[in-house]
Amino acid sequence: MIESKVVAMLLAGGQGSRLKTLTKKIAKPAVPFGGKYRIIDFALSNAANSGIDDIGILTQYKPYLLNSHIGIGSSWDYDRNIGGLRILPPFTSEDGGRWYTGTANAVFENIDFLDEMNPEYVLILSGDHIYKMDYSELLRAHKEKGADVSIAVMEVPWEDASRFGIVNVDEENKIVEFEEKPENPKNNMASMGIYMFDWKELREYLIKDDENPDSDNDFGKNVLPMMLEEGRKMYAWVFDGYWKDVGTVKSYWEANMDLLDPGNSLDIYDKDWRIYTRTRNLPPQYLARGSVVKNALVNEGCYIRGTLKNSILFSDVIIEEDALVVDSVVHSDCVIEKGAKVYRAVISEGMTVKAGEVIGQEGSENIYLVSDEGISVE
Amino acid sequence: MEKCLGIISGANIENNFGALCVHRPVYMLPFAGRYRLIDFSLSNMVNNGIRTVAVYTGEKVRSTMDHVEDGKAWDLNRRFNGLFLFPPVSHGLSAKRTGEIPQYYTTKDFFEQAKEKYVFINHPNILAKVDLTEAFRFFRETDADITFIYKKQQDPFGEYVNTHKMNLADDGAVLNIGTNLGTEREFNMYLKMGFLKKDVFMKLVKEAIERGESDNLLETILMNKQKYKINSYEFTGHVENIRNLKSFYDANLNLLKKDIARELFYTNGTIFTKTKDEPSTLYTEDSVVQNSLVANGCVIEGTVENSIIFRGVKIKKGAIVKNSIIMQKSEIHENAAVINSIMDKQGVVGEDIRIAGSMLMPFIVEKKQVIRKD
Repeated sequence: MIESKVVAMLLAGGQGSRLKTLTKKIAKPAVPFGGKYRIIDFALSNAANSGIDDIGILTQYKPYLLNSHIGIGSSWDYDRNIGGLRILPPFTSEDGGRWYTGTANAVFENIDFLDEMNPEYVLILSGDHIYKMDYSELLRAHKEKGADVSIAVMEVPWEDASRFGIVNVDEENKIVEFEEKPENPKNNMASMGIYMFDWKELREYLIKDDENPDSDNDFGKNVLPMMLEEGRKMYAWVFDGYWKDVGTVKSYWEANMDLLDPGNSLDIYDKDWRIYTRTRNLPPQYLARGSVVKNALVNEGCYIRGTLKNSILFSDVIIEEDALVVDSVVHSDCVIEKGAKVYRAVISEGMTVKAGEVIGQEGSENIYLVSDEGISVE
Repeated sequence: MEKCLGIISGANIENNFGALCVHRPVYMLPFAGRYRLIDFSLSNMVNNGIRTVAVYTGEKVRSTMDHVEDGKAWDLNRRFNGLFLFPPVSHGLSAKRTGEIPQYYTTKDFFEQAKEKYVFINHPNILAKVDLTEAFRFFRETDADITFIYKKQQDPFGEYVNTHKMNLADDGAVLNIGTNLGTEREFNMYLKMGFLKKDVFMKLVKEAIERGESDNLLETILMNKQKYKINSYEFTGHVENIRNLKSFYDANLNLLKKDIARELFYTNGTIFTKTKDEPSTLYTEDSVVQNSLVANGCVIEGTVENSIIFRGVKIKKGAIVKNSIIMQKSEIHENAAVINSIMDKQGVVGEDIRIAGSMLMPFIVEKKQVIRKD
C-alpha cells in the first residue's frame, strides 16, 4: 500500500580518490565488491527492497561504466511506467553549465525534478557505502517523531570517532549538536550520510544554502548545521547492522574479506533482502581435479586448476595449475598463470599475473593493489 | 537473419525421463548447473540475429511461463517482434487434434502477419551451437525450399539407436529420413533443425490439415519431398541429443570436459537464462571439490567430485557427492553420501543417509523429496 510519497536521491558522483587506481576510470559507486556486485548495488537494492518507487541518481565523476551498469534499472526492478529510476547528471541551462559543487548543490540543481515528483519526503543516500538498511523504518521513526530531518547514525569505535561527522543527541535522540571530525569527540554516534527530509523544509534550506556564497553546499557541513541553528526538529535514528565506507584500499580489502566469515552480519545469502546486480550471463564455475579451494567466494565463469585460499574471485577468473592465490580479491577477467603466487592483493579487472610471478608477501601487513599502472603498496 | 523467424516445437516430445518430467515439459529439464534445455535453442537463435521466436509449449505450460516470462532474458521482450508463446488449442479444427501441424495451423495468422519470409525450426532437446548465420546463408545461396541440418555421428556402440538418420544423395540432396538402427559405425544424424521458405511451410501445414494423413511436420515434408528442393547442411561441432534419462545424465557430465563446455557455453555467444540474483558460491575450509561444475549461491562444506551442482545448493560437512547432478536448492546434510544420482529441485538427503545409483541408471531423488533416517 502506498503510505506516503518518498523520492530517494542517490549521490553517486564521488571519485573516492583514496581508492587509487580502483577509481582511475570509474566512480567509486561503480567499484566491484563482494564477488559480483558494485558498491552502488547495496544502496539501490536497499531502496528497491524498502519499497521506494522513485529514485534519482546523481552522477558526475566518470559516469560511463556506472550508467551502463544501471541502465534503465531493470536489475533492481526500477524499469517502470509509474515511478522508476532516473539518472540525473549535471546539465546546462540559460545561465550556462555548472558542475555539482557539493552534495547539497547536486540536489539543489534538481529542484525542478523534485517539484515535478512532488514528494512528501526526500531521502538522501550515498552510493559509496556497503550496508543493508530498511529505509521504511527510518521513515516510520521520522513520522513518529514528527521530525523535519532524521539522520541515520551508528556507533563507531571511539578511536575512529574523530574520522566521522559526529552527532550529539539528548535522551530522546533529538540532535543538539553536530561536530565534523572532532579531535575530542563527546560521542561516538557517527552520521551515515543517510537523511530523511520533509521536502518542503529541505527545499527552503537548499535555496537558502545556495544564496550563501561562503557555503560549500554540503549537507553535513552546511545545510544540516544551519537547520539545527534555526531550530528545526532533527532526530538521530540509530542503526546497528553492518556498514562500511571502504574509503581506502585497505578498508576495501577488509570489507571484502568480511564476507568470508560465514556468520558475517552483511549476510549476502539472506533471501529476504537480496542484493541485486546486473548479470553477465556466464556459465557455472569449474573446479578441476587437483584444485584446492578453501574459504573462498567464487563467482560464475571462473576456471580453477590451482590453489585458492581465503580469497574472493569475481567472474571469469582463470587460475592455472600450480598457481597460488591467498588472502586476495581478484576482479573479473583476470588470469593467474601457471606457478604464479599472489598474497594479500587486490587485482584489478582484466589483469594477467604472468607465470611464475610473485605478488605481495605472506604475513605482511600491507595490501598490494595491482593495476595496469603497476603495483602500489598500502 | 532478420528475414527468418524461429520456431521451437516443445509439444509432443517423447517423455523418457520418468519422475523428472511429471510436472515439467521435457524441454524444461534443468541442465548444466543453471539452465533449462530450451535456453540453448533460444540463445542460439537470438545470438544469430533471429528476432521473432514462436514457442509451442505443449500442455504443461506453467513451468515454461514461469521460466520464459516475456522473453526478457533473451532480449525477446520487444515492442516489434519478440517472443510468442503458444499453448495448445484445438479451436477451429473439425476434430481435437493437438499434434504439431494442427498447432501450427491454429496460429496461421501469426505466420501470415510476420514480415519474415523464412522459418527456422528446431528442437529444444538437441543442443548444438550451430552457426545459424552460416547455415542460413547456405540455405539462401542454394535456393533450397528446405535445408535440413545434420551431423556425421560416430556411433560404434549403438548409443544412437532410434535417433533420426538422414540418407543423402552425393550432391547433398535429402533422399529420406528414417530411424537409425545402429547398423553403421557412422551415420548422418538429423538434428531436427532446418530452414524452410515460409510459403512452403504454410502450404505443407494447410495441405496436411486438409488431408489429415499426418500431424507431424517431418512426415508431411517427406510425403511431399518430390515437390520441393530439399538439401542438407553439415554441422561439425559437438551435439547433445537428449532423448532419455541416460543421455540427459551423460550430457550433463560431458560438460566436465573442457572442450565440450567451452563450445556449448561460449562458441557463437553465451547462453542466456532467467537470472536468480544468487550471490557467489562460498567454499569453506573443509570443502574439497574436484572436476565439478558449480553454479552460484551454493555453500559447499563437503566433498564434491565429477558432479554438476545447481544454484543455491547446500552441501554440509562430511557429505560426499560423486558423479551426480544436484539441482537447484537441494540440500545434502552432514555425512550423507550421494553417488551416481540425480536430485531434482529442492530435494533433501538427511544426515548419514547414503544413496547410490549406477552410472547406467542413476538414482533419482524427486522434486522436494526428503530422505531422512527415522
